[in-house]
Amino acid sequence: MIMYTVTIANRDGAQYCVDARRPLLETLREQGVDLPFGCKYGGCITCAAKLKTGAIDQRRQVALNNRQIANGYVILCVARPTSDITLEIGVESHEKLYRNPFLDPLKPHELKADIATPKEG
Amino acid sequence: MDGQCCGPGFKSPQEAIKAPREKLLYTIAIYTGTGIQKPDYLATVDVDPDSPTYSQVINRLEMPGIGDELHHMGWNACSSCHDDGSMSRKYLILPGVRSNNLHIVDTATDPRAPRLHKVIDGAEIKAKADLSGPHTVHCLGSEIIISFLGNAKGEAPGGYLHLDKEFNIVGRWETSMGDIKFGYDFWYQPRHNVMVSSEWAAPNTFMPGFDLEEVGHLKYGRELHFWDFEKREPVESFYLGEDGLLPLEVKFHHDPDSTHGFCGAALSTNVIHWWQDDAKKWRWEKIIDVENEVHPEWPIPLPGVMSAILISMDDKYLYLNNWLHGDMRQYDITDPHNPKLTGQVFMGGLLGKAPIVNGVEVAGGPQMFQLSLDGRRLYVTTSLFSTWDNQFYPEIREKGGVMVMIDCDPENGGMKINEDFIVDFGKEPNGPSRCHESRYPGGDCTSDIWL
Repeated sequence: MIMYTVTIANRDGAQYCVDARRPLLETLREQGVDLPFGCKYGGCITCAAKLKTGAIDQRRQVALNNRQIANGYVILCVARPTSDITLEIGVESHEKLYRNPFLDPLKPHELKADIATPKEG
Repeated sequence: MDGQCCGPGFKSPQEAIKAPREKLLYTIAIYTGTGIQKPDYLATVDVDPDSPTYSQVINRLEMPGIGDELHHMGWNACSSCHDDGSMSRKYLILPGVRSNNLHIVDTATDPRAPRLHKVIDGAEIKAKADLSGPHTVHCLGSEIIISFLGNAKGEAPGGYLHLDKEFNIVGRWETSMGDIKFGYDFWYQPRHNVMVSSEWAAPNTFMPGFDLEEVGHLKYGRELHFWDFEKREPVESFYLGEDGLLPLEVKFHHDPDSTHGFCGAALSTNVIHWWQDDAKKWRWEKIIDVENEVHPEWPIPLPGVMSAILISMDDKYLYLNNWLHGDMRQYDITDPHNPKLTGQVFMGGLLGKAPIVNGVEVAGGPQMFQLSLDGRRLYVTTSLFSTWDNQFYPEIREKGGVMVMIDCDPENGGMKINEDFIVDFGKEPNGPSRCHESRYPGGDCTSDIWL
């Protein structure tokens, strides 16, 4: 079994060893980390956290637009680690997750993956 | 009235108007998306002015887990089975939009302290009916139908879940979704064998928040659908275009003989009216168009965002909200083709016209509302949906939601905020929560349909 270490930056650097094949929401909650969640299939953003270092696979998520992904957001209910990682969790990490859509429009390449167009230049 | 001689609700809208004044009100309150790791709950609010706990939350029924996002709710029975003495308006159904769970709450054993009767697991609904994202609950006789906005993967258009009166899953209610692209709200008028449904978006589109650009990519709805209610299939659709972006709440007249109905198009901030003409053909028109407002710090005009509408039990007034502008409005719709603005009050909103109401700073704007059967008291709450709140009103995290009462004059028209009533959900024991839809135990202006 491949295991990776997850460090939670905004919980005093607490560390957890997790199974690389399972979603982070499950493996961290099992070890007592209190995490928000909603739909549990990658569609609703409630469980979003910020990836500070390392890499994850979140191909199953459908909630994030490309700007949110570029800002480091990951959907814990479907994301699996592919290296040791450091996360910032909970709403403290959501500073750039929500934006007023009238004041701060998305560029065509920043939309969700299914409707985004490639960045020009 | 619920009684020994007959079933729940009232013989007619006229009888409902004469019912005793409401003393309790149930509203859902959420922690999902707020940063507080507690379950959403059903709050009981004391609305009896003679009670020492008037204008306070007197009970909180927590859901079993976190992350449901309670939103709308509905009864197991209404006036549509008034002649069935075996039925009673006992259970309130509370769907979790994100979790897909349906919570069945017994409000009759102790109306002040409702208790959880049963939970239909969201995973079971996905497995048996391929549905997620529950929204509107209506009963038809002793059966219950609930609109779901997506399939098990959160993709549109979803469909309708059919429950029996014991809350067992019967399966899908509809025969066909036809060419419908999205689901949301619905209302039916059995004497005309018609149901009308509206369109928000797929759960995967609206749950993470509002990307305005997705409207242009046709990820949000702009159509109304007319159903053959008995055959359970859509037969005609109206494309509303730019006048009908995000057509959300659907209301028919309460009068079961009427064919007139209304829908609030949230982003266009218009009211759409439909009716059947003399040739039995369905027609529609835009009857209210709320102009965008200039915001001092915004480069583009600010739409009202009309997320809800409500019709008084006497079918005389239509109430609507402008969640971003911050006003509630009352229109006289005696002539439904020519509504007249008869009342307007501000509470919160982004225009800064009423930042404080009865001493409480209002985060958010008027959003959901429920009207007393006699048409005199309108209870208004301020949160729309956790992710959308977080985009437009981020301060709601610290301040929570508010419930305000507006005194309405059903004889001459007019609205005024009641100065003796306010419920500040920013001061809840577990921290600021957000209140949304409300219902009264004895029936209200969004619960009953007459056969």
